[in-house]
Amino acid sequence: MTRFLSGLARLRRGPWEMVASIAIGLGVVMLMQPFFLAAFTWSFLVLLTGTVLFIVVSHFPEDR
Amino acid sequence: MSFSITDPSPRQKAVAGALVIAYALITMLPLIWIVSTGFKSSADSIAYPPKIAFEPSLEGYVNLFTAQTRQTPEYLAENPPQTWYEEIVHEKGMVIAGPSRFGERFLNSVIIGFGSTFLSVFLGTLAAYAFSRYRIPLKDDLLFFILSTRMMPPIAVAIPIFLMFRNLGLSDTHLGMILLYTAVNLSLSVWLLKGFIDEIPREYEEAALIDGYTRFQAFRKVVLPQAATGIAATAIFCLIFSWNEYAFAVLLTSGTAQTAPPFIPTIIGVGGQDWPAVAAGATLFLLPVMVFTILLRKHLLRGITFGAVRK
Amino acid sequence: MTDTAMGRVAEATPPGVARRIRGLSDRAIAWIFVAPTIFLLLAVNIFPLIWTIRLSFTNFRANRPNAEVESVGLRNYQRILTDADVWATMQATAHFLFWTLFFQVLLGFALAWLINRKFRHSDLWTTIIVLPMMLSPAVVGNFWTFLYQPQIGLFNYAVEFLTGVPATSFSMIGEVSLAPWAIVIVDTWMWTPFVMLICLAGLRSIPESIYEAAECDRASPWRQFWTITVPMVLPFLMLAVLFRGIENFKMFDLVVQLTGGGPGNTTTLTSIDLKREAFEKWRTGYSSAYAIVLFVTVFGLASIYVKALNKVKER
Repeated sequence: MTRFLSGLARLRRGPWEMVASIAIGLGVVMLMQPFFLAAFTWSFLVLLTGTVLFIVVSHFPEDR
Repeated sequence: MSFSITDPSPRQKAVAGALVIAYALITMLPLIWIVSTGFKSSADSIAYPPKIAFEPSLEGYVNLFTAQTRQTPEYLAENPPQTWYEEIVHEKGMVIAGPSRFGERFLNSVIIGFGSTFLSVFLGTLAAYAFSRYRIPLKDDLLFFILSTRMMPPIAVAIPIFLMFRNLGLSDTHLGMILLYTAVNLSLSVWLLKGFIDEIPREYEEAALIDGYTRFQAFRKVVLPQAATGIAATAIFCLIFSWNEYAFAVLLTSGTAQTAPPFIPTIIGVGGQDWPAVAAGATLFLLPVMVFTILLRKHLLRGITFGAVRK
Repeated sequence: MTDTAMGRVAEATPPGVARRIRGLSDRAIAWIFVAPTIFLLLAVNIFPLIWTIRLSFTNFRANRPNAEVESVGLRNYQRILTDADVWATMQATAHFLFWTLFFQVLLGFALAWLINRKFRHSDLWTTIIVLPMMLSPAVVGNFWTFLYQPQIGLFNYAVEFLTGVPATSFSMIGEVSLAPWAIVIVDTWMWTPFVMLICLAGLRSIPESIYEAAECDRASPWRQFWTITVPMVLPFLMLAVLFRGIENFKMFDLVVQLTGGGPGNTTTLTSIDLKREAFEKWRTGYSSAYAIVLFVTVFGLASIYVKALNKVKER
């Protein structure tokens, strides 16, 4: 957990890609869940943010 | 007897084999049904209960390849059937008016399939070689971009493609479909071929370069022959994709360049779909793919994972 | 031998061309080789994508090319994302997605595990099982409507034969409660082999020595399965699930041929709805925005997929 947080702080690829993947996953769940219309409405923004974030952070340096 | 994962006992093997064979037989049933329905007469095809033993008939195939019209009994009596296929049609009180559209559509599938396969494998080999051997700026981004183009939902892509084709006069043309399928297949062919070329040791080319070959000659005379199997496997995968493609074909073609997948479901007989004819068309259409799948079996896994899993 | 072949090539090639090719730097060759691919993909993918983004902010209709096109800002997106009908198609897609993945993973993994018992002719049977996934979904889907006929269909007859429920009493593609399952069954039939093949590769990538070591430690087979087999196959399974997930999220050909989205809207998956908006109602601007929503979703999932691909590649 501390490694994850320090990776985030030092802008490393691994942990940030994890964050972006979780955002994308959350977006997909929001898009397709049958419970709240509001979640469906905001899912696109979450997906867009996650996807753009993923493209950006995949250029961060790898942690060695 | 203890249970071991690495060294299954004969009994374990027998049980596993029986279960897999049972699944294989069930999974084959629809395919067997397609082939057998093609050889049923229309009465047999809609019999209840479904007929397993039946008298083979070529009615489905005759209906598939011919267009027919109903005639009066007098006309039929005056014009007795000349050939075996005319006789089949005659018995139903019809005469053959000419060939059906199926031959054309099948030929379209062949032309568009082979055309796009050739182009995408040709361009893909060049690109894959460059990606495999040279330092290209933003290589990973380019490769991801190339792969992502294949993931896109065809219906979503079809909206602008439809407008673009309309403006360029490419709607319902062979050229348009070949270019479109080439673009879709390129991603697969670049990724797959890059994997195959990565496996060829660089030392071979380096030896050729020392022998006085140019880079280009080394590519043609050393790399290409070494990659031949990979290129063939890639070509078959591309061919199967363009052969099976439906979404673009149904939205962008309607007549001259229509391929078989959108056509076969529209084969209509008297009162609904003419199932023996549909099954006959499906049999002719699916059979080549089955043969190719058997030829490809060693490379299947690579093909479906874009070359990532090599077994 | 090589010398003579080289000599012949040298003779056959005009000196100018030869010098030009010979003189090309590696960098130039790399660009010449990559450029046509990139160009074609730009023309057929990126240019249309930019066009779609532009259209998504307008009220353009493709069947009225001469009508005045107005910019509507974000209204198209607003409309889609608050539309309960679009949301309903997403839920139909979710139902399809969840259950196809569930059955395919279950069956695919079980089959892979059984095939890995290495019984006689297992390769032959594997090839037979794989056949459905290579076939044209549209042609096969169309034929399945015949198998699903209440009176004469093989599927209904098989159900009667096995369970005693009369074949004529139900219609898989005609009833609201059954149609969503009809498409799940056909997709599972077609794509279970895909998951199976990838799981099989995962199982075969596990070195036997790990199991042998576990057996020396007297770990039970059950424990070996959960502590060795499952974790080692998981990256492969992830790959299969992501790929099938993306494919079924954009599912069109199979379902449109099977049910056409009916009865009612019970099997109207998102792609089918989009096709109606774009090519039947010709609301091009609106459906462009719709397409962008799908693009972004698939693009996001695809980036995770490529990450999973690279993870498996390292093995």
